[in-house]
Amino acid sequence: MSRATVGIVLVSHSAELAQGAAHLAGQVSGGTVTIIAAGGTDEGDLGTSAAKVSRGLSQADSGAGVVVLPDLGSAVLTVRAVLEDHGDATSVLLADAPFVEGAVAATVAAASGGDVKAVAAAAEEARHARKL
Amino acid sequence: MPASYEQEITLEGDLHARPAGALAVAAGRFASAVSVTAGSHTADAKSVLGVMGLGATSGQHLTVKAAGPDAREAVAALIDILGHVTKVGG
Repeated sequence: MSRATVGIVLVSHSAELAQGAAHLAGQVSGGTVTIIAAGGTDEGDLGTSAAKVSRGLSQADSGAGVVVLPDLGSAVLTVRAVLEDHGDATSVLLADAPFVEGAVAATVAAASGGDVKAVAAAAEEARHARKL
Repeated sequence: MPASYEQEITLEGDLHARPAGALAVAAGRFASAVSVTAGSHTADAKSVLGVMGLGATSGQHLTVKAAGPDAREAVAALIDILGHVTKVGG
């Protein structure tokens, strides 16, 4: 596997939630994927930050693209605003997925060499995964 | 007809998140379709959430099946990972 792997950006209203999900997804997938936690506002409160999302996209992209997972619907607004300025819509995909399961599934798909579409699809399939 | 291959293994520990992740990462690198069966449940081995959802525990017999151009290698790789699942959690 010499080619770059897809990066993951986790956008949460909570910095701790984003960091915790990033830690978990990194452990499950073996630590080979770049996962950036973009949680909380610039002031450290609950909320989302366009600056953190924008930095996260840059840090996560190693050439294979980035999949972004928002925790709740209103995080989508922040991500969309950033993506409008970001330009390259084909290399960044926003996944409509449950946050924890989607983060784990996306990261595992990235670790096994999936492209940006496969990684986003893995995250979205997490919606149908049963725990019991 | 693609080649198909299967092998069984008895788990020596529970199939927790990290080994399930290792299994799915490895399975995803093969072109073949790969599945893991535990009892009456079968999961796509490339789906980490599916593998975790099997709830496979110590002492259970699992069957790894693959169909495709690298089926034999895929089964060997996954059996090797499952053989390293121990009683230590994770």
